[in-house]
Amino acid sequence: MIKIENLTKYYGNNRAVNNISFTINDNEILGFLGPNGAGKSTTMNMIAGYLPMSGGTVSIYGCDITKDPVNAKKNIGYLPEIPPVYPDMKVSEYLSFCAGLKKVPASEKKSEIKRVSELLKISDVSHKLIRNLSKGYKQRVGFAQALLGNPKFLILDEPTVGLDPNQVMEVRKIIRDLKKEHSVIFSSHILSEVSEVCDRVVIINKGDIRAIDTIENLEKSFKTSLVLHLKVKGSKTKAASIIEITKGVSEITDITDEGSDIYSFTVQLADESDSVRDELMAELIAAGVKIMEIYTDKPNLENVFIELINRPVQKTSLSDLVDEIISEKETKNAEEKEEK
Amino acid sequence: MFPIYKKELQSFFFTPFAYTLAGLFLLLFTYTIVNKIADVTGHFIYFSFTDVFYNAIIYFIFLIPILTMRTFADERKFGTEVLLMSSPVSVLKIVLAKFFANITVFTFMLAGTLIYPIITEANGSVVYSQLICAYIGFFLWGTMFICLGMLISSFTENSIIAAIIGELIMFCFLFLDDFANTGFISEYPKLQSVLMAFAAQPRFAYFSQGFIRLSDIVFFLSAILVLLSWNYISIEKKRWNRG
Repeated sequence: MIKIENLTKYYGNNRAVNNISFTINDNEILGFLGPNGAGKSTTMNMIAGYLPMSGGTVSIYGCDITKDPVNAKKNIGYLPEIPPVYPDMKVSEYLSFCAGLKKVPASEKKSEIKRVSELLKISDVSHKLIRNLSKGYKQRVGFAQALLGNPKFLILDEPTVGLDPNQVMEVRKIIRDLKKEHSVIFSSHILSEVSEVCDRVVIINKGDIRAIDTIENLEKSFKTSLVLHLKVKGSKTKAASIIEITKGVSEITDITDEGSDIYSFTVQLADESDSVRDELMAELIAAGVKIMEIYTDKPNLENVFIELINRPVQKTSLSDLVDEIISEKETKNAEEKEEK
Repeated sequence: MFPIYKKELQSFFFTPFAYTLAGLFLLLFTYTIVNKIADVTGHFIYFSFTDVFYNAIIYFIFLIPILTMRTFADERKFGTEVLLMSSPVSVLKIVLAKFFANITVFTFMLAGTLIYPIITEANGSVVYSQLICAYIGFFLWGTMFICLGMLISSFTENSIIAAIIGELIMFCFLFLDDFANTGFISEYPKLQSVLMAFAAQPRFAYFSQGFIRLSDIVFFLSAILVLLSWNYISIEKKRWNRG
């Protein structure tokens, strides 16, 4: 299990990551979601032991990354945002170097390199210089490097960036298969990817955790929508009058004429029971109005994500409040100084 | 540690880099030797190898920063520093591996110059004690400047800047003793003695005259140690300041 506790990072006076804590269980894929500049890469760099943290601890299967870095890093495979490849090396040379770096025993080196090359389909470029590879191939070579030595914990920072749609599907499949033997933390700003691959998600913005939960729970925790979309063929006034008098409908917010007697209605419902829809359909059919389309807006991860990110951070402790007051005072002082 | 050492050697020897550098050094070395021979007059033909080394230093100043400029700057430029730092190898070992790789190339460059004593021996005689002293001195001196070049490379991510700044600083170092002996500095004997303490040139001069003095060896070894430690600290510090 990987435990991250109270992780904080300051760049000068600028707080990039603020006191975040979460755990990654064995055989779990944790999605790490956030807009650009949210602190995703910084956090991952800290977990991988590249950047030192300003505060907090990271424990990888019981080894603290700052106190016992060499042992902790033995269990880590890390693919940073920019694949860490040497342009002047051949793919095979590079993988051999990485295998040595990760202390893969000499006897297993060849089979291990073969395994990852086949997994990521880079066997055919193994004699090419990395400099001459396309971005997608470079990304896959970087990914192969992370898998060398079969580390238990994988940190993947946007692994599908720069790949074509076909490759994206393949890489997602590889990540899903990795779950059998590995724990994975996987960052992305592509929501569909996260909801497809991950068991749980951590949503982060401006260095603060906004939510940690399974995708289903996240979706559930947000109210289902009360907007009904209805497309009918027939008389506009007739349909409108039926909709308005149906129980449970609060108002018609929009009507658009789509030509040849087809009208789209956007209807605001008062509550979220299915009975409204059933009743509405029955009434309309009875009145001779043809229904062409009927659906309600479904909450998806995208909406959840946007809502969570734009939500102001709730102040949970007194120290947070004190921090805020201090920073406000500081800015005020600075302004006064400037005026002087 | 060994994989990094091996990778560094590959980057020097699988490309024209090491050969170009060694060839250039040999060319400049040959130029001095030819000059020395041309200066020889009289019945007894003799010239001093140590003098040749002494003169070769000024050319070497331009080659060492080129050797060391990529050491850390390129790792940072290509983002491969992350790979090294997140692998189970300590920073100290990374620094040492790169140091030894640079030393290996330096030794390779130096080995090329052995051709002249061999030719001389075939056609005359060589004073070995003096020659060995000169080689030891030159090796220590070069090692110290390699550490300095590596340190400068760890400050930047642009290898060209690392080379230019390295050349500048090494140039200043080379003329430190001349500067300390100017009339102006002589007026302040304390300052003069401090400057002289840092000057590597006179210490190398002792070697080239055939003296092995403990104080000189201690000077070079401690300078190497200090610069390597500084390398380590600089890399660690860069990690803290990264954004």
